[in-house]
Amino acid sequence: MTRRQALWAGRAASYASLCLAALLILFPVYWMGVTSLKLPRDILRTPSLWPHAFTLNNYRILLEDRGFLLNIRNSLMVAGAVTLIAMTISSLAAYSLARFRTRFRGAIGRLILFAYLTPTSLLFIPLSIVMAQLRLSNSLVGLVLVYLTFALPLATWLLQGYFRGVPRELEEQGMIDGLSRLGALVRIVLPLSAPGLAAVAIFTFTGAWNELLLALVLISSPGARTAPLALNDLITSDTLPWGPLMAGAVLSSLPLIVLYFIAQRFMVQGLTAGSVKG
Amino acid sequence: MARHLGQGAFAYLLVLPAVLLVLGLIGYPFLYAVLISFTNRVVGNAGHFVGLANFRYLANSPDFWAAARNTVTIVVVSDALKLAIGLSLALLVNQRLPGRGIFRAILMLPWAMPAFVVFLIWRVVYAPIGGALNLVLGAAGITTEMIDWLGERPTAMPAVILATVWRGFPFWFVSILAALQTIPAEQYEAARVDGANAWQRFRAVTLPAIRQVVVITVLLSSIWTANAFENVWLLTQGGPSDSTIVFPVLAYFGMQTMQLGQAAAVSVAMLPVLAIMVFATTAVAQQGSDE
Repeated sequence: MTRRQALWAGRAASYASLCLAALLILFPVYWMGVTSLKLPRDILRTPSLWPHAFTLNNYRILLEDRGFLLNIRNSLMVAGAVTLIAMTISSLAAYSLARFRTRFRGAIGRLILFAYLTPTSLLFIPLSIVMAQLRLSNSLVGLVLVYLTFALPLATWLLQGYFRGVPRELEEQGMIDGLSRLGALVRIVLPLSAPGLAAVAIFTFTGAWNELLLALVLISSPGARTAPLALNDLITSDTLPWGPLMAGAVLSSLPLIVLYFIAQRFMVQGLTAGSVKG
Repeated sequence: MARHLGQGAFAYLLVLPAVLLVLGLIGYPFLYAVLISFTNRVVGNAGHFVGLANFRYLANSPDFWAAARNTVTIVVVSDALKLAIGLSLALLVNQRLPGRGIFRAILMLPWAMPAFVVFLIWRVVYAPIGGALNLVLGAAGITTEMIDWLGERPTAMPAVILATVWRGFPFWFVSILAALQTIPAEQYEAARVDGANAWQRFRAVTLPAIRQVVVITVLLSSIWTANAFENVWLLTQGGPSDSTIVFPVLAYFGMQTMQLGQAAAVSVAMLPVLAIMVFATTAVAQQGSDE
């Protein structure tokens, strides 16, 4: 086999493997979409890989009969509030950790990292007790508060990495020109780390949007249910309403998928800057 | 304002809200969890100190040991698969292939989807009647049996692991790919000139460049996987019987039955192993940031 042939054979094998991987990724996603568009009788009685008929009925059941829009709204409000609060508090903290060499910087940095690595599965029991004591269980405000347990350390840790990347000289120049420290942060450091801020905001939003365990523990009234909770309720009922379930899956993932593909470049940079290089 | 306060005070002022929230929302509940695990607290009654009774109870509970076994199995097997798949795909995409951007985007898709959505999809894929997996196997002429993938002991755990890997490998893929892209092409050229074959080039050039990333990914992924709740909860709720039960689900069941002391003890029992992984991760991460 000539060198040229070997090269082509290698390429063909690479493409074949990648196509197989892509197929295995795309098929379950296709299945979600197609199930959400099938008639109930077609899902169970005459199952097939391609639907016999398309219907939007599952979406109608989900949105009208089960009031899923309220769940989406709750999720949006909680995730939005968590993102806003976490980004504000974390920017300040991350700036302090990135710029000032104080005595406790190392200890605070380690505290943030430990907090980031402390799993929700360890915290959900005491958090539910604390929230009950604060009379915040069963409220979206309480949910925002407990979601800060993962959002805040993650955002602080990642932002710290971004802020280190902003040249100190630019800030000093700004301060010579009359900006205060806080002014330098707002006018110089934040705009220069915009891609990082976007990535961290998306990570934070996603984390809150996806959370199930704490919501399950804290929220019981139907009016305060988030999207994952509503879908969890669907599967714990006796009959599995697959069509509406997959319609809910489509509606809950579309915003995130769109967000990720717009910001894909930032996301990869954000991931590696924060979790690996610090 | 900064000029009057002095730099030190200003630095602490900035970091103060975050530190207070972390201490209040994570530090305090964390210690509280440890404390509760030594009491017979139930919902509505604070209970009293019972020493190691909860842990003794767990040590004699078959569910606890099933959870320990299953948690270790899921972490070890899915980490190994995620590493193998993530590394292979990263190496493939790192080649100068036309169209690799599209493949990279597709391969990241499971990571872009919410975990709860992913496991709901797999639940529908695994369903015995009308599930995609049985349909595909039937269409391919492999078997026409209606296999209840999540409902039978031998298949439930592999099914949970497969779905967990599907959702988790993109994180490995992007992390390793990012590390691969920092390797200068000249290093491979130099190795080739020295007569190194593909395996030798991988050992000498690729492996050292991705070692740090792989170590930290193993640690992070192990912590996350060991504490994952959605995968098992949405697929099997720990069943059939206890064949896929894991610590977080066991703790949640404990909470549902109002046994807060025992439930907290389940979480706290994981702490020693978790602490080792967390300290290791911190050490590696800080080593990386000091460079």
